[in-house]
Amino acid sequence: MEAYTEALCREIAMQGSLFAAAGQAVTVYIGGGTPTALPLSLLERILRTVQRCFPLAADAEFSVEANPGTVDAAYLAGLLAAGANRLSLGVQSFNDRLLQRIGRIHTAEQARQAVFMAQAAGFKNVSLDLMYGLPGQTLADLAASVAEAAELQPQHISIYGLQVEEKTVFFRQQQQGRLQLPDEAVAETMYDYMTEELPRRGFIRYEISNFARSGFASRHNLGYWQDVPYLGMGTAAHSYWAGRRQENTVDIAAYIRQVMEGKLPAHEEEPAARSLHMEEFCFLALRTVQGIDRQKFVDKFDCTLESVYAPVLADMRGKGLLAVDDVGVRLTTRGMKYGNVVFAAFLL
Amino acid sequence: MQTKNIRNFSIIAHIDHGKSTLADRLIEYTGTLSEREMEAQVLDSMDLERERGITIKAQTVRLNYTAKNGEVYELNLIDTPGHVDFTYEVSRSLAACEGALLVVDATQGVEAQTLANVYMALEHDLAIIPVINKIDLPSAEPEMVKKEIEDVIGLDTSNAVLASAKTGIGIEEILEAIVHDIPAPSGERDKPLRALIFDSYFDSYKGVIAHIRLMDGRIRKGMQLRMMATGKLFEVTDVGCFRPAPVDVDELVAGDVGFVAGSLKNVRDVRVGDTVTTVVNPAAEALPGYRGVTPMVYCGLYPVDSADYDSLKDALEKLQLNDAALVFEPETSIALGFGYRCGFLGLLHMDVIQERLEREYHLKLITTAPSVIYHVHKTDGEMMAIDNPSKLPTPQEIDFMEEPYVKATVIVPNDYVGAVMEVSQNKRGEFKTMDYLDTNRVMLIYHIPLSEIIYDYFDQLKSMTRGYASLDYELADYKEAKLVKLDILLNGEAVDALSTIVHVDNAAYRGRQLAAKLKELIPQQMFEIPIQAAIGNKIVARENVRAFRKDVLAKCYGGDITRKRKLLEKQKEGKKRMKSVGSVEVPQEAFMAILKVH
Repeated sequence: MEAYTEALCREIAMQGSLFAAAGQAVTVYIGGGTPTALPLSLLERILRTVQRCFPLAADAEFSVEANPGTVDAAYLAGLLAAGANRLSLGVQSFNDRLLQRIGRIHTAEQARQAVFMAQAAGFKNVSLDLMYGLPGQTLADLAASVAEAAELQPQHISIYGLQVEEKTVFFRQQQQGRLQLPDEAVAETMYDYMTEELPRRGFIRYEISNFARSGFASRHNLGYWQDVPYLGMGTAAHSYWAGRRQENTVDIAAYIRQVMEGKLPAHEEEPAARSLHMEEFCFLALRTVQGIDRQKFVDKFDCTLESVYAPVLADMRGKGLLAVDDVGVRLTTRGMKYGNVVFAAFLL
Repeated sequence: MQTKNIRNFSIIAHIDHGKSTLADRLIEYTGTLSEREMEAQVLDSMDLERERGITIKAQTVRLNYTAKNGEVYELNLIDTPGHVDFTYEVSRSLAACEGALLVVDATQGVEAQTLANVYMALEHDLAIIPVINKIDLPSAEPEMVKKEIEDVIGLDTSNAVLASAKTGIGIEEILEAIVHDIPAPSGERDKPLRALIFDSYFDSYKGVIAHIRLMDGRIRKGMQLRMMATGKLFEVTDVGCFRPAPVDVDELVAGDVGFVAGSLKNVRDVRVGDTVTTVVNPAAEALPGYRGVTPMVYCGLYPVDSADYDSLKDALEKLQLNDAALVFEPETSIALGFGYRCGFLGLLHMDVIQERLEREYHLKLITTAPSVIYHVHKTDGEMMAIDNPSKLPTPQEIDFMEEPYVKATVIVPNDYVGAVMEVSQNKRGEFKTMDYLDTNRVMLIYHIPLSEIIYDYFDQLKSMTRGYASLDYELADYKEAKLVKLDILLNGEAVDALSTIVHVDNAAYRGRQLAAKLKELIPQQMFEIPIQAAIGNKIVARENVRAFRKDVLAKCYGGDITRKRKLLEKQKEGKKRMKSVGSVEVPQEAFMAILKVH
């Protein structure tokens, strides 16, 4: 971990000078992985290196991802002191049985305490992740977790449906018929419940999976969906810089070696073709509730949305998936459920 | 070459008994091609043919052979297709010959198709030389096969040659037998020209090239010739023989087999079975012609992308240039748009054409269910020949219907007789005869509706008899039958391209089968899709494709973006292969899978 932290700080230093020419950073996000798997001293060092090497805006949003079982009051205080001003906790559920079922190392109580401690330490911007569609989960379970999450008064809640990926334990269990996921109809009810209940409790939806109190949307994540360039540092980190997407080497040992040799560990990708840029611009913007802003499209691509997408707009609108007006186009409630259908239509 | 030293012969056999290998060996032995020039199965020039191990087009080759007696002979070999679909090609080739090599696999014995082809050769009065092939195999039983030939066909096997085309045994004996046992052609080169056209193909430079057998007379470049049936006049631009590639010669004379070209642009001017004669001093009478070619099986061919319609038309026209048996005419379907109704000799023919359209012309196609030709007798006395279920008149207008039956000959080992009977009875077959070919094998003859044959009869036969059954069939007659139209409705709308005509006894079962298959193949969409099979107003089967509830990626942050875009691209590609049938997206594969019924 020492070696990795050392290497990461080196990369931060190298990138910082590149970045400075572009201006100030408006957001920082420390994620992974599990940042809080590091001892505080190492994580602190990383945060301070960022502060030192990158010009940060005065009101920059500085987020750190934390695992509820790995932080205590001292740790949190340390993070705050090192410059963090937003905390994202991977809670997932406030039901111990479910937490165990999905292999989490923390308990509901620990999750609760983590939130209290963060708030007590002085974090004014706390986000919680919740999941639905978990094996053995009922609508009642979900409702209870949502209620508890809301009552803890975080500023932001993200909700994710469980997706079984290949080569995972869940995948194997599913193959063997040992994974009892809620059926399609129930999963849909869970999704509907959350998307209705959270706003009722004051968390406004701003993206397919993200809800926040007014003024507390994650600016960093909004950047992903609004075509804002960013630099990623660390093993397997992604960047979107100078119009091209890049990824750092995924092998930790190789990463450390390359950085210590003074090389930037990114794999070059080809610069995005205009059509690719347009596609990504569209399907990413459509993830947000505001959708695609017509003026922004014109500013970026020097042509109107209609000139490229008129038949697509008509088709999606006809299917009740897209709302179209003078300001822009965005997914309807139904459209959010069938997002992929709409996104695919915007491919050229 | 003196006429007395010419021999014209064909090789006839069941599929895979070694016909093509033997032809290769003869070519090689006589030095017609050097070893280097020999490519295996050299006479099967199409990739498809080589891949599937079948011959589709008949081709000829002239071999020069110096016999044991020291004389040089011109041996014209005409290769023949070995599949029941192409019976007419076999017949034409045989008419150009005086003799035939009957090739029988020493490990298999006489098979259904062997019989069909032998009977045809006998009808043409050919001298037949039995060749017992594959004697190199340990399981070869040449004596038993010889006896079988004598008993079943009634052929004398005293001049039979034991051979192995693969290892080269018996090749010289075969050539000697051809010289001695097959008569030289009769006919005189000084009589007026009469040449039989037994095949043709289109060459983009020379126009239509006719394969001919001269019965009388001679042909040289520059001569003015006339097609006796069509009346077409032309001047000979090229005349020659095949080695097996076309080679020009100065002259073809009575008894020869070769080709002639005359800047003929239209393949319909060159009618197979027609006689070619000279303009000056023509022959008094044409040679006896053949029976015409009638398609037995029809289907609709539609492009997945309607923009490809013209390309499909173009492709069909080009294929027809070399395949006079293919017929087609424009057709429209409410479900599928504009396409063509195509007639084929049989399922293999249909299969081959479809594959050539996809492979050589890069067309993505949807085929409707293959249909036979039904005779619909209307209440007003009119009889309609219907090959398209959508054209069926309303039940009120129909007095009765008839469907084509075939005489199906099946040869199986003893143990599987029961299985064959079961399959055939399930297919509404009428048992006709059963004969023992030898202690082990039985020949059964059934009369079965052609529509049942094309709906997976052969596959069932093969699987129930572990592959041992061989099948041959020919059109027998038309019989009255209780037939109905089975319709498929997707989301409440009838899809005309999915309609079929079925026997009333099968209808409900077939409807359930189709509905179940469609349910598997139609992907979930944003709304539920009811699938129904109906006969008139009565629903006989019902299935449902559930709607998918959600289709969206929950997390999409920086590192996910590229991966996500690739997934969307795949999703979009998938959509391209769908055809919108009303409001339902049906993948091209779904049409192919349900309706490709063999």
